[in-house]
Amino acid sequence: MRPLTPRRVAWICAGLGAVLLAAAVVSLRMGAYPISVTDIVRTLFSGVIGRWDDIPSGYRSVVFEIRLPRILLGILVGASLSTAGCGFQALLRNPLADPYVLGVSSGAALGAIISLIAAPHTPGAIQLAAFAGAAATTAAVYFLGRRGGQLDSATLLLAGIVAASFLSAIIMFLMTTLSGRDLRGMAFWLMGDLGSTLPTNPLPWFEGLFLVFVLAAGAIYATSSDLNLILTGEQEARHLGVNVHRVKLVVYISASVLTGLAVSVSGTIGYVGLLVPHVMRMMFGTDYRLLIPTSAIGGAILVVLADTLARSIVSPTELPVGAMTALAGAPVFIYLMRRRVR
Amino acid sequence: MRNARQRRILMIATAGVLISAAAGVFVASSATARAGTRTAARMAVQNGAQSDAQNSSQRASSHRVAASRVVTDEVGRRVEISTEVKRIVTLAPNLTETVYALGLEGLLVADTNYCDTPPAAKLKPHVGDPQNPSLESIVALQPDLVLATTSINRLETADALKQLGIAVYTTDPQTVRGMLDSVIHMAQAMGAEKQGTELVARMQQRLDAVQSRLSDRPMVHVLFVVWDQPLMTIGQNTFIADALRWAGAESVVLSKQKWPRLSLEEVVRLQPDYLVFTSDHGPVATTLSDLRARPGWRDLDAVETGHVVNMSEEAVRPSPGLVDAIEQLAHDVHPEAFAEKSETGNAKLETAAVPARVGKIGQECTPCAR
Repeated sequence: MRPLTPRRVAWICAGLGAVLLAAAVVSLRMGAYPISVTDIVRTLFSGVIGRWDDIPSGYRSVVFEIRLPRILLGILVGASLSTAGCGFQALLRNPLADPYVLGVSSGAALGAIISLIAAPHTPGAIQLAAFAGAAATTAAVYFLGRRGGQLDSATLLLAGIVAASFLSAIIMFLMTTLSGRDLRGMAFWLMGDLGSTLPTNPLPWFEGLFLVFVLAAGAIYATSSDLNLILTGEQEARHLGVNVHRVKLVVYISASVLTGLAVSVSGTIGYVGLLVPHVMRMMFGTDYRLLIPTSAIGGAILVVLADTLARSIVSPTELPVGAMTALAGAPVFIYLMRRRVR
Repeated sequence: MRNARQRRILMIATAGVLISAAAGVFVASSATARAGTRTAARMAVQNGAQSDAQNSSQRASSHRVAASRVVTDEVGRRVEISTEVKRIVTLAPNLTETVYALGLEGLLVADTNYCDTPPAAKLKPHVGDPQNPSLESIVALQPDLVLATTSINRLETADALKQLGIAVYTTDPQTVRGMLDSVIHMAQAMGAEKQGTELVARMQQRLDAVQSRLSDRPMVHVLFVVWDQPLMTIGQNTFIADALRWAGAESVVLSKQKWPRLSLEEVVRLQPDYLVFTSDHGPVATTLSDLRARPGWRDLDAVETGHVVNMSEEAVRPSPGLVDAIEQLAHDVHPEAFAEKSETGNAKLETAAVPARVGKIGQECTPCAR
């Protein structure tokens, strides 16, 4: 294995970034409304210089208000979920950990729904409540997953499954009894969907969300060297001067923030946090200094492509993006589980 | 060691399956949870009603042996109905509304939790949700006739009631005309043929009046929003699509599905003349100012010109209230036709219709034929 230099990290990330850009371009091209690539470029250019003289309003509306926001949302959600997945896998020392499998996404969704019921029009409340739900679920699953003071892999996953179905049941109960409120459909919270309604002025909203993402993902990235040491054994890491307790706390909070962030805007999209870190591990090795940034970009690529497929294979109707990621993710989960058994 | 692990994984898988099954049961039961609590609360009422019911049913049963007739309902089932119907249970809001419109509410002993039109219907005893009514409470009420409909009830419910010896007449209105026929059939089944014919004649007259006003108007193209989060609309063969045509409006989406999901892009492409929202169908942004602030929606021609219309949810049921809704919608989308006095006669509507931009889901545009 070649030594990991900042240069190598930068090159790999640049390569993945180019793939992401290509995915975004493909996504921008696909859709029910027919626009040629040249017209998309012209529309984008007009948007940058702020002149709309010879652009049909349909183009502007489709490119800037429907497709671009969806791509940005896909990037944000994919990067958040797979970074959170990396964090949970390190924190729980379990390669099958993922916000969806552990029920953390469902916890975040429940938090978001409760905030929509209690404080419907408070900006930021939904993100805060989703974070609280994610953090509480993570803590609950963590303590339920211990046996004899040790984290046990099977018990942990079982606790996650129990938490996920329990929380989904509460969500269904709330959605059934409180219908008619300003809630999104049940499918949104249980399957995930990127076609959500944007606020009137989406730009500051996106800026705020990306800022939170950068802070939380940055915090996890800052612990990546320590995570590498913890992976070899907590005892050893402690001897090498790693404050294991503090590192775990940082990862726990950041991963919960990222999950809450993703769920609050897109519902519970499954398996991204499981699938992407694994693919990245196979491609680039287990070093967290490389794994975290590549997973973030890889997650963005996966969700953007999955959403493009979801809205184009049955066009002009749409599938929820969570259906696509689950179609790809569940077989991978089974494969990984069976490989571990062998 | 390896075996222990395998067993453990197997255990997880089994537990997962069991738990998801349990979750499924929960979903089903949560739907009926409300019904359950209400049924409990209503026990007293029913017990009171039961003794009454027993008395009257003893009378009724002697009648039933002597005088009953066999009719075929709209789904082709043979129903044996007593000639003297005294106790009716309805299993859907549109049926309840029809019973009231026929002036037969005195015979109505129970309806469902969903029955809210007219408001008095809410005060009747309920037998649960239309999808999952409590068979026990229906049996306890000893009705001479239960009215059901294919649009919301399950045929299993009708089967189960038939097994229990209760007459169930199931209606199956697919169009506005079908609704008028259903009213007549229901009136016949309830032994109120005269009221039925009169009611239908009045509705037919009002519909004809709308038609004559619209005779020289082209169809407007509308997007009927069933749900906006995610965006969901109606297919071309639905009851609502037919009702829209009676109001001089054609849905821009042609789909064989009943409730097709739609991407917002497709709406931008189709540029409907009007957006039609229903007020009670969950999280729908109904106000124009809401839509004018929404990315994607705000650039639609219909939003810019303020062509956004609301229909109440009761109005889109196959029931007599639908005629009000059709009149209202026709006024909203064809204001010119109602502004001046129309002198045209009873010319048919379909001659005027030439769809310009009608989108497809599944099939090509067919001229707006009724």
